[in-house]
Amino acid sequence: MSLDPSDAAPTEALIPLHCRQAARPGPPELTTLLTGTPVYLVRRHADVRQVLTDPRLGRAPLYAADAPPLTPYPNLLDDPDGLLNLDGQEHQRLRRTVQRAFTPRAIARWRPWVASVVEDLVSRLSDAARPADLITAFARPLPVAVISRLMGLDTLDLKRLAYWSDHALSTSAHTPEQVREAIVDFLAFGTALVAKRRAEPGDDLVSSLVLAADEDGEVTEQQIVRLVIGLVVAGHETTMTSLGNALVYLLTDGRDAWERLAGSEEEAAAAAEQLLRSVPLGENEVLPGLLRRAKEDVEIGGVLVPAGSVVAADHFAANHDPEVYPADWQGGLFDPVGTPHLTFGAGPHHCLGAWLARMELELALHRLARRLPGLRLTVPVAEIEWRRGLLTRSPQTLPATW
Amino acid sequence: MSAGFAGPGEHGGLTVSVDRTRCAGTGLCAASAPDDLALSDGRARPLRERTDALDEVVEAAELCPMEAITVRRVATGEQLAP
Ligand code: HEM
Ligand code: HEM
Ligand code: SF4
Repeated sequence: MSLDPSDAAPTEALIPLHCRQAARPGPPELTTLLTGTPVYLVRRHADVRQVLTDPRLGRAPLYAADAPPLTPYPNLLDDPDGLLNLDGQEHQRLRRTVQRAFTPRAIARWRPWVASVVEDLVSRLSDAARPADLITAFARPLPVAVISRLMGLDTLDLKRLAYWSDHALSTSAHTPEQVREAIVDFLAFGTALVAKRRAEPGDDLVSSLVLAADEDGEVTEQQIVRLVIGLVVAGHETTMTSLGNALVYLLTDGRDAWERLAGSEEEAAAAAEQLLRSVPLGENEVLPGLLRRAKEDVEIGGVLVPAGSVVAADHFAANHDPEVYPADWQGGLFDPVGTPHLTFGAGPHHCLGAWLARMELELALHRLARRLPGLRLTVPVAEIEWRRGLLTRSPQTLPATW
Repeated sequence: MSAGFAGPGEHGGLTVSVDRTRCAGTGLCAASAPDDLALSDGRARPLRERTDALDEVVEAAELCPMEAITVRRVATGEQLAP
């Protein structure tokens, strides 16, 4: 419900995201954000990787007192205390308190549980009246159920979560007051949760976070709270978006792959990785890429970027850089990706939840294809309703039968 | 098997290797084991051929988000982490 009909673009303008053509990468270009702020737009794979890993560029300076405006709307992600907006040692300290729970090995231990969540959802879906909506019944509840379980939020009201999430990542869909109200409410929830787990620790992720942070002694209460609510949003928005957009592709232009996805988890994992690389999460309308700001003069791809400049790393373009990847990703859906893609970023802020997201996506596609081999959409592509967030676009509903 | 005085230290010497293709350049390892790992061109690399900093390098290998770091005991080839 994030799209206000009054400023909705005509639906025929919205093509499925797998049809979006990436900009041809060239040297960094100077352009402007919607706010008029000048920005160096970086698109080549090597340049994007440099921007994300070079310590001369950071996230914190984006929110310094002298920083130019970045988005026309307030949102949760602008919080300077958020993990993503800390740099250097302060970032390392907070990141290390959570990293242990998110390594490939740590995530692999949750596999049987994630699989059982997926299977429950598929069973319920296959018992439902046809046509059924794949978003409401599958793509939306999956990431929420997984992160809630990891965090021990069994009693979390999912409607409340959806409300926070929608507002936290919204663009023009909500007024600034509505967004602020939602954030205040969300923070209150996080504060209460942290207090509760400190008083009565369990074996969930929030308890271990609080424990690790208290042991460290220098992580502030505010940072823990922001981290906890950041994780709630993370488990919700991006995974739902990539699953929804992957399904649009697989049930339309990519339908031939459906049977093979059902074949094995390994094949589904390979396809999930290619889909993560190739299908963008959104449109780059508001933000042309992952933002950083130069702390000193720095040369990127042969261009001198002066200290203080805002830089946007277009990881979608980088993921389609012809120097690195073959042009036809659809023909190689089950091939190994080769050079690591940048969908999860790189450098200090490389996505914490990358392995969890991969696992959710691969199990979701594999189990759905196995249980519902005849799955097909009941609406033409042109009639898909889209949900638009700050950085994401995904189907609002996806009616299907089998 | 005891390292005795044969190795360069009490652990008999460890090697640290980094798969630079997998490495995402997070720098977490350099923070855990600053004497053994550092970033160059956005990717980690080992700083010395052998080390004794068992706790530090094991911690680095276990925290690495890409499992790009391997720690082995020189004498036995045994993989200690991740
Ligand atoms: C397909 C799903 C996902 C995608 C595409 C994705 C993508 C990203 C990207 C690109 C960044 C870096 C942003 C930047 O450098 O400016 C990031 C950061 C982050 N992601 Fe994800 N993510 C996904 C799922 C998840 C999940 C499931 C979680 C948590 C459970 C998560 C937690 C985080 C956190 C905490 C950060 C900030 C890390 C830091 O600053 O150290 N993500 N994600
Ligand atoms: C709580 C701390 C977080 C903050 C402060 C934050 C902030 C931001 C900001 C400002 C952006 C805009 C692009 C940029 O400037 O780099 C962004 C992008 C992004 N964030 Fe976050 N974020 C946080 C957590 C997360 C989490 C938990 C996820 C979960 C996956 C996430 C996923 C993403 C993704 C996927 C993008 C890029 C999307 C695209 O390119 O279309 N972030 N984040
Ligand atoms: S922790 Fe792993 S991914 Fe990060 S820099 Fe070190 S080797 Fe690379």
